[in-house]
Amino acid sequence: MVALEIVRRDLLRYWRNPIRTSLLFAVPLVMAGVFALAFGGGGGDQISIKVLLFDEDDSLLSRFIEGAGDSSRSDHRLEVVPVGEEGYEMMERGEASALVHLPEGFTADYLDGNPTTIGVVKNPSERFLPKVVDEGVRIGAVGLSEASQVFRAELAQMGDFAREKEFPADLAVANLSAGVNQNLRGLERFLFPPVVTLESVSLRPEGGEEEEEESGFNILAYVLPGFSIMGILFLAQSATRDILRDRESGLLRHLLTAPVSVNDYLGGKCLSVFAVTILGFTVFVLIGIAAGIHWGPAPAVVALMLASALATAGLLILIMSLVGSERQGDTLTTMIIIVSSMLGGAFLPVSQMPSFLKPISASTLVYWSTEGFSKLIIDGGGLADIVPNLAVLTVVGLILMLIGAVVLKRKIERGAV
Amino acid sequence: MITVERLCKSFGSLVAVDEVSFEVNEGEIFGLLGPNGAGKTTTINMICGVLKPDAGRVVIGGKDIWLEPKIVKQSLGVVPQEIAVYEDLSARDNLNFWGSLYGLSGGDLKSAVDTSLTRVGLSDRAGDRVKEFSGGMKRRLNLCMGLLHNPRVLLLDEPTVGIDPQARLNILEVVREVAAGGTTVLYTTHYMDEAQELCDRIAIIDHGRILTVGTLEELTRLAGEAEVLRITGNFDDPANRERLSALDGVRVLKADDRIAVLSVDAGGPGLLAILPQILAPDLGVDDVSIQQPNLQSVFISLTGKELRD
Repeated sequence: MVALEIVRRDLLRYWRNPIRTSLLFAVPLVMAGVFALAFGGGGGDQISIKVLLFDEDDSLLSRFIEGAGDSSRSDHRLEVVPVGEEGYEMMERGEASALVHLPEGFTADYLDGNPTTIGVVKNPSERFLPKVVDEGVRIGAVGLSEASQVFRAELAQMGDFAREKEFPADLAVANLSAGVNQNLRGLERFLFPPVVTLESVSLRPEGGEEEEEESGFNILAYVLPGFSIMGILFLAQSATRDILRDRESGLLRHLLTAPVSVNDYLGGKCLSVFAVTILGFTVFVLIGIAAGIHWGPAPAVVALMLASALATAGLLILIMSLVGSERQGDTLTTMIIIVSSMLGGAFLPVSQMPSFLKPISASTLVYWSTEGFSKLIIDGGGLADIVPNLAVLTVVGLILMLIGAVVLKRKIERGAV
Repeated sequence: MITVERLCKSFGSLVAVDEVSFEVNEGEIFGLLGPNGAGKTTTINMICGVLKPDAGRVVIGGKDIWLEPKIVKQSLGVVPQEIAVYEDLSARDNLNFWGSLYGLSGGDLKSAVDTSLTRVGLSDRAGDRVKEFSGGMKRRLNLCMGLLHNPRVLLLDEPTVGIDPQARLNILEVVREVAAGGTTVLYTTHYMDEAQELCDRIAIIDHGRILTVGTLEELTRLAGEAEVLRITGNFDDPANRERLSALDGVRVLKADDRIAVLSVDAGGPGLLAILPQILAPDLGVDDVSIQQPNLQSVFISLTGKELRD
């Protein structure tokens, strides 16, 4: 069948040119790879933040802080590494996200109510994790400051105890305990029960088993589907560019001198573009799996991949059918790919966009694809949950492809070959 | 074998082909000779079924190409003017793909590819990417693709444009071999010498119209001259041109400020009597060259301009 021979030839051209083929995957692969290296890991693992703790105080309070960061519950989140002055050199080498410095006399000043400072040195080469540490220390500092206000007298008394060389008397300890208790009782009506609580659940289909979820978040699961869609669009751009190149180079004219009809040629090219996008999508899915993403139930993932590939192929074929030259096609398709990727949620979740943009987002194929993958990956949905997405992508993709093929056929038959 | 009846094609207000008709006999090499922009490529695109004519029809081997395209194209080989190959694939890959379009596969395909490559002298480069080929080699591969399936009819659209003389000779030799094997050949060119050397019959085309058709002898007889004189000199003075026109026994085919082309009437006083008049000092002639009647002179006599204009 001629159409299949055309598909085979096009795939052979990609195979025979591994460098060019690799470059087609390069941008989205690099973007996805960087994210995978930065945030990937085993399934559902948390983001790991390495913090150096330079504790010049070496007191009870500082050890408490160190212990809090090093607790088993936050084992996967926070890695607290005690260091000395060499910690600053380690920061210059970029070996941690941040360094927290507890100066000498920190505890004594805190207990006496004297102003004191916790230093945070952030790694300038990282954007996100140092800010997490900074905010965490800031919150901790606010908490300690408020506690200092509430328990001023008790903390001063603890300071006296710390300075004494002997164990405090029982009465003094009892007085301290009573004072803390009295303060807590006073705060009780403000703190307990909490007015606002957090309840985190995941919806499951009827009959599905409840699974205990690990709290935390895999950034890659949020961003890879969007980058994959964008990557597929660029792949489809390259594959459809061939149609214009065939026209401009005379290859199409030559092909049509053989027992090849225009329908054969266009059918072959449409199949070829679809095949390339499917293969590309498969690569991205495999990368996601390697980086720890659970894409969802296999039938749903495959169906969404196929529908997304069909939609991207249809869109690019239509655009290429309307332009007059390869250069025009490249310019127009690049603009459309970037804008629709941004609007459709490839870079930023649609839910974070201004409300007036949301209807516009829903008019892009990127939206329907990324939203479908979000339902599978983030919400844990299945095939039934993405039926609207499959329907939109498939129907629109087929229509666009058909219109594009008809336009191309008319151009070819009119002599614009 | 090929019947072209009143083909017409316009692109907007431009009439590219205007009622072109001719017939090509089986086994002959038929030339379509004309300058650039004469309508040769448009005509051949309509004949090979790529471009739909506004009017007229094309019958090849007794079948209308537009009514039964796939059947006719199965026996048609086309060598286009553009080098239309996939440069990122090897010569063999290109031919394998091309052969598959004609239904060749397996051992038949391999045999056909090997034979074609040998025929054009590309066997030792079969596995190399076409982008590494010279222009002449690419043209030979182009030719190869037209011959792969042993077509009964071969259409070549200026297959020697832009290549070195050696490659050109190779291509012409292959065309002769193919024709000797019984294939009917339609060959378009703007090179007069190619048409003279290669073609059994020639049609001269200009501005989309066939001016005349015949063998070389018939065409030169049609022009009715003996020798042709090409003179250079100072002819911007109208008086000089008038003196040329007044010469007995010559006909001015073309004259501009520097060049004049004259035909010597066969029944006139003859070249020996004419030359002294041409070389008279007052005519301002710098150079005279004498040519036997050829297609150039035929073209000039029909159109008033040279083939390369």
